[in-house]
Amino acid sequence: MGDLNSQLSEAEARHLLRRTGFGADQRDVDKIINANETRGEAATRLLDFKVSKFRPRNRDIDIAHNKWIKFMIRTKSQLQEKLVLFWHDHFATSNDVVGDVSQMADQNRLFRINCKGNFRTMMDEINRDPAMMDFLDTVRNRKEEPNENYGREVKELFCLGVFDLDGNPNYTQEDIVQTARAFTGWRVNSKDQAYFDDGRHDKGTGHMDDPFPERGPKVIYAGNDAFGMNGFDYGAAAGTAYETEIDHVMDAIFQHQDSAQRNTVAHWIAYRLITFFADPEPETSYVEAMVSASNFDTTFEISNLLFEIFVSDEFYAPLTDPTKLSVKWPVDYVVTTLRLLRMKLKSRFQFVNGGSFDEIRDELTNMGQTLLEPPSVFGWDWETSWVSSSTLLARYGFARDIIAARGRGKTTFRPDRLFDFAESPAVDPDIVVDEVTSLLGVDEGFGIGSVERTALVDYLTDGGGGLIDFSDFETRDKKLRGVVGLVLQSPRYMLH
Amino acid sequence: MPITRRQFLRRSSLATAGGLIGPSIFGRSMLQNVMAETIGDRYFVSLFLSGGNDGLNTVVPYNNGGGSLRTDYELARRSNSGGIQLAAGPGSGADEGLDFGLPTVNAFLDPNTGAQLALHPGMSAFKDMYDAGNLIVFQGCGYPEPNLSHDVSTNIWETGDPIGTLNTSKGWAGRHLEAEYSPTDIPGVTIDNSVAGEYRQTGTSVLAINRLSRFGFPFDGEYEDDDAAKLAAFDAIYGESASNGSGSAQFIGNSGIATALAAQSYPQLHTDYEAERPLFDDMYDDESIGGRTSTSRDLREVAKIIYGSAQGVPGVNARFFHLNNGGYDNHSDQGGGNPADRHYRLHREVSAAVKIFFDDLTDMAAGQTDGRQNLPDKVTILIWSEFSRRIIQNDNGTDHGTQGPMFLIGNSVDGGKVIGNHPNINSAVTDLYNGNTPYSQAAADPYRSTDFRDVYGSILKNWMNVPQGTVQATLPLDPIPDPTNYWNVSDFDLPLF
Repeated sequence: MGDLNSQLSEAEARHLLRRTGFGADQRDVDKIINANETRGEAATRLLDFKVSKFRPRNRDIDIAHNKWIKFMIRTKSQLQEKLVLFWHDHFATSNDVVGDVSQMADQNRLFRINCKGNFRTMMDEINRDPAMMDFLDTVRNRKEEPNENYGREVKELFCLGVFDLDGNPNYTQEDIVQTARAFTGWRVNSKDQAYFDDGRHDKGTGHMDDPFPERGPKVIYAGNDAFGMNGFDYGAAAGTAYETEIDHVMDAIFQHQDSAQRNTVAHWIAYRLITFFADPEPETSYVEAMVSASNFDTTFEISNLLFEIFVSDEFYAPLTDPTKLSVKWPVDYVVTTLRLLRMKLKSRFQFVNGGSFDEIRDELTNMGQTLLEPPSVFGWDWETSWVSSSTLLARYGFARDIIAARGRGKTTFRPDRLFDFAESPAVDPDIVVDEVTSLLGVDEGFGIGSVERTALVDYLTDGGGGLIDFSDFETRDKKLRGVVGLVLQSPRYMLH
Repeated sequence: MPITRRQFLRRSSLATAGGLIGPSIFGRSMLQNVMAETIGDRYFVSLFLSGGNDGLNTVVPYNNGGGSLRTDYELARRSNSGGIQLAAGPGSGADEGLDFGLPTVNAFLDPNTGAQLALHPGMSAFKDMYDAGNLIVFQGCGYPEPNLSHDVSTNIWETGDPIGTLNTSKGWAGRHLEAEYSPTDIPGVTIDNSVAGEYRQTGTSVLAINRLSRFGFPFDGEYEDDDAAKLAAFDAIYGESASNGSGSAQFIGNSGIATALAAQSYPQLHTDYEAERPLFDDMYDDESIGGRTSTSRDLREVAKIIYGSAQGVPGVNARFFHLNNGGYDNHSDQGGGNPADRHYRLHREVSAAVKIFFDDLTDMAAGQTDGRQNLPDKVTILIWSEFSRRIIQNDNGTDHGTQGPMFLIGNSVDGGKVIGNHPNINSAVTDLYNGNTPYSQAAADPYRSTDFRDVYGSILKNWMNVPQGTVQATLPLDPIPDPTNYWNVSDFDLPLF
């Protein structure tokens, strides 16, 4: 737990901005420091963003993808985009399967509108979201041949998790089968609206049309602590209002208790958000404390949960414990770099104006993260799973493209615009390293250490030491681009 | 607090590319080709069908034999509209029928019922390999307490540790690599953006390479005179992370060093292959023979590495490969025997790519006296999926199921046979709803399943030449001695080669 009245140091302010946005811009750091903001005040202000209803719309998935990247680079509500990324990973719907960019854009807006709102509301909307209904086959789920694809993932990934915090299973195959029955009959019309098709719905035992008596009553979670040995009969709860069965199933899911009588949904979502924002390996007690402090298990208000996470001591632990550092997602690596270097991407294809000239979507694909096309319903694997020889080379390649972006305008990287070394015949290489590492946010906490610093100084002086003559344009341009590239490629910059 | 195996794996920070500790990319003594005594000059390729391949529409009963497999199959898989049944008999027009996939040279019979079996018509290339005695079909492969989650089941197949006996996140083949290779070796390559779970471990380096042509270290072309200085600084920075970093920093340090090192030797493999084997380079892209697919192109990358490695290119030691093909999770739109159907296209993609690959190896070996000699005898491919599908179909698709077939392919494979019994697909003995055959290792069970660890272990023992005792330690028996449910195989003596 933490002290929400604790005043933020500059290092803490930077950490908060990195985790809740894309890099710590000095102007945003100054805002916190000049106002003497506390953890609580800063968290409240960051969470108080005005919800944008942006949707990355285009006929072409590549352009839609790149519009979203462009929006991330220029948005003032960086936390909103971080949250949209989180929910996109959580409900990992892929246009590879859906094949409808407009539906994907609508889902993206659904995340933006609900990103800090009520999780139950979000689930109710996801249940009826056309992209999701197509992705996990709700539209193909009918009484004759129930399709359990969505019924499984709504438990395994979206709401409960396979196992609880103590490693005990949260549900059975029978629960999945019974859940799938509730979703039979739901379809999408030509205007991309969900509707209930009574004729395709499994009305269940006892109904005159029921041809499947062997399926039994619509009961889930028999034996769960929240419902007792007989479980919850959502069919009986809905009665003949069959279209409400999915809401009664949701009621049950949101009351589900794990093996230690904790609310399962609240702890699963808290665990996920904590691993995203604060700690890749949280202690169970930390997860429990965040749920308890925010009352997330009764209100399911996401912003309250986020507030508690953002003021907790564990959130700030990476400043003193390097094992708590987190590997930046590829999209974070890219957007952070562009924001810190005040660069824009070029043309509607949004490419870095140097090096490979690959469009940004291809660069991200090579790093292992094609937005709107997650690899599977499990989303992306985080942390060190982002790191392989192939994905590292893609990050090195992006860094190279950045420093090779030449010419004029906002799409180029011009060291003289960022650093004031022009016409200097005798520059201390340590000062150059200071300025570059400070700009890129790797100078504090477990920043670039003495060995790395020596390597960078050796690079700047070609091993000769002493002062550098930066009055010569070529030397200045070559070494400033080079040193920025090296920091962008360094292990430390990959972490935050 | 183990929440899921996936999170456990995410957390454990095990090496993907790189268990390398320490200093320099330059002057490293690894540019000699060390050959492990176990696999020797042979190669192992693992091909993962991701998403859960429908095994019941991959190896299909052609008739009843002494049982009722064909009748049961036709009850479970409909032939009317939306049906995915594969017809037995000469096909006409759109539906090619099963005669297409009925091996003709060797008997392809279910050992249990005597029913004649056929391969999916999209797998005609595999039928030919079966007839040539180069392909083994393993039936009913699975593990105790089958799990129907893609994620959990994939991890189980990767670790070879179904009920957590070892409580490990290291892959079954990774445990072998770690024991056999040093931190400075690079014995394995995954053709993907991330290293395959079966090779996960911490003791040696496994690369992830998407395309060799893009595996070079990226420099700013404007200042080439600065490249050496940049690489020296990169080396020092990464060496520090590898030696003294903690957690993820060390992991990235190790991975970066292995990457920069391999980036010096691997891109040349692409250039050499392209220049010296243009005919086969094109075949992998030839649509008319089933090429121009992600599988054919991935296998081409494997072929390039083997081509260089067999000739002793310095710095190229990879013997273990992994590639995967996705798209098998067909809850809908699976289709039957029509060449335009999804499952048909997947089967054609994989089988045609494997054929091109072996034709390539055969041509590479022709007339050679160096390491390329007899190359097709030195390569084996294992094909597997995380689970099969439900016996009863749904609307033109199938939900998650349990046991499925595996394939082992190669000129050294003692093929043209089927090992294990066809699963019991009689819906009367299964739960209509859950619709899966229970896993059984009971010796008396006529539908006894094949434990996939028996296949892995037999490969370790007979292809990697790992001693029996070491294989047993790598793949230990389950602790609960329940012969009806748990693994009771211990000899790893499946007749494979």
